[in-house]
Amino acid sequence: MLILKEIKHRKFNFIMGLVGMIAIVSLVVAFYTMTRATQKETIRLTRDMGFNVRIIPGETDINQFWADGYSNLSMSQEVVDKLVDQKSVNYAHLTASLHKRVLFRGKDVVLSGISSEEREPSGAKKSKMIFAIEKDKVYLGYSIANQFNIKEGDVIKVLEQDFEVSKTLAESGSDEDIRIYFNLKSLQELINMEGQINEVMAINCMCSTKNGDPLGELRTELQKIAPEAEVLMKNSVADAREKQRKMTDKYFAFLFPIILIICALWLGSVTMTNVKERTSEIGVMRAIGFTSWKISKQFFLRALLIGLFGAIIGFAIGTIVSYQIGPSIFSVAKTYIKPNYIMLLLAVVIGPLFAALSSLLPVLWAVNRDSAELLKE
Amino acid sequence: MLEIKSIAKTFKSGKNDVVALNDIHLRVEKSEFVLIKGESGSGKSTLLFIMGGMLNPTFGNVVVNGKDLFSLSEKNRGKYRANEIGFVFQSYHLLPYLNVYENIMLPNELAETKIDKEAVFKIVEELGIKDRLYHKPSQLSAGEKQRVALARALIINPSLILADEPTGNLDERNTLEVMKYLKIFQEKGGTVIMATHGNLADSYATRTIRLHKGELIK
Repeated sequence: MLILKEIKHRKFNFIMGLVGMIAIVSLVVAFYTMTRATQKETIRLTRDMGFNVRIIPGETDINQFWADGYSNLSMSQEVVDKLVDQKSVNYAHLTASLHKRVLFRGKDVVLSGISSEEREPSGAKKSKMIFAIEKDKVYLGYSIANQFNIKEGDVIKVLEQDFEVSKTLAESGSDEDIRIYFNLKSLQELINMEGQINEVMAINCMCSTKNGDPLGELRTELQKIAPEAEVLMKNSVADAREKQRKMTDKYFAFLFPIILIICALWLGSVTMTNVKERTSEIGVMRAIGFTSWKISKQFFLRALLIGLFGAIIGFAIGTIVSYQIGPSIFSVAKTYIKPNYIMLLLAVVIGPLFAALSSLLPVLWAVNRDSAELLKE
Repeated sequence: MLEIKSIAKTFKSGKNDVVALNDIHLRVEKSEFVLIKGESGSGKSTLLFIMGGMLNPTFGNVVVNGKDLFSLSEKNRGKYRANEIGFVFQSYHLLPYLNVYENIMLPNELAETKIDKEAVFKIVEELGIKDRLYHKPSQLSAGEKQRVALARALIINPSLILADEPTGNLDERNTLEVMKYLKIFQEKGGTVIMATHGNLADSYATRTIRLHKGELIK
């Protein structure tokens, strides 16, 4: 009660403390929220460019693979289960696929079956699927749709079987433009290759290895669990993504302590001003019988309130700023800009403690002074 | 009731030591009204703060009811002040964000003190500030502020009032008012030790002692 009345009386000082706290929390929240969005955006962009790791049948003729864009051999779909079950290779998602070149209306096209689900490591959170093509439906590459004037909703005949075109894809400028995408199971049945695939795509696979040779390590591990498979890796994509993540982490690690120190100094000086304004009050409290701890509590509770309100308001402002600015910067990943309630929880716990700690020195200075000296002031 | 034995107090001023009090011996009995007189800087306030356990002496003891005040823990010295001593200061030292009622009730913030609301109403009536009960200190005159400070000191029913120049900022009329209340307290059995350098309080005291440059003049 005494604290609330004091805060009401010295609003300006309280607001100044609050401003400092709001500044640090909102900066950290906005930075963290947008950083996550940047990383997600990079992952999305790099995923569109190609997957980090392509696992193909071991006997594949590599010249044929690069010439055709897929292996003309196949392997059991169980490879995916083996990869999911093992613990030594890191990855974010696995997607099984099957590809086959055929003639469609007299033109070479590639039929690509994509598994209707991505597989994550055991216990990992389920992610968004790239494709979830329904059975008896297909997605059509840009060139095919354009050449034959096929529209969404049309029914096309592929290898004597009817499929509805549920989507025509935008121009990609790659061999994807001459692909017809199926649900993996549908394509396996269509070309009589049930249970067979010719590629597993792995995202974020082996991004952080200790010995600096992720491909070698992955090959060794794969040899143990799936000797029938071989690994190809797009180093540039994985490296770029890892470098970007590390750079962001470094930037944050550099910036965060500086912001923290500035804020601590700010809160400390706000408390110092408050303490100096209240010297005779501290003296009179002592005269009445208040102990140092009882007097310190007045200041610490005030700091805790600054920390608590600063954390809540700072979180709200940081999130709003991310919402306002984020989408214009991270257009692809704007859906990833969302309130991070774990940050709110952390802010609400750490903020008051940080504010109280920042006030420690001025409070100790005040309560350790002679009462006579305080009252004379 | 209160005995001061060989009290000395030295302050640091830069590299020099300044002697504020030197070898003070004093015994104050229950229901005495003692005036400590002396010019500014003679050590009156320092002596009062030491008597109240708010300032550690460099040397000597303060014995209250047979107990050495400075052998007590900070917590117990606080309890002693909360239960036994009422302080009155020249500058009133009212909390600016509390009204008269809340200022008088301030000792209630301590666990060891329980103040009855009725006691507050009674004391403000006696001190003539009843109609100012919900005013803030900034809305009061100097005399009213000092009466509020006096009420805050008296509300705990102390056995001792330590008053440091309580009339220093008051005109003659208000000075006499404050002295009258202190005298009433003493006549009811309380002890008053008051530091002053004026003469208006002389007739209220049962004893006057003089300090000069930190030493007691016999």
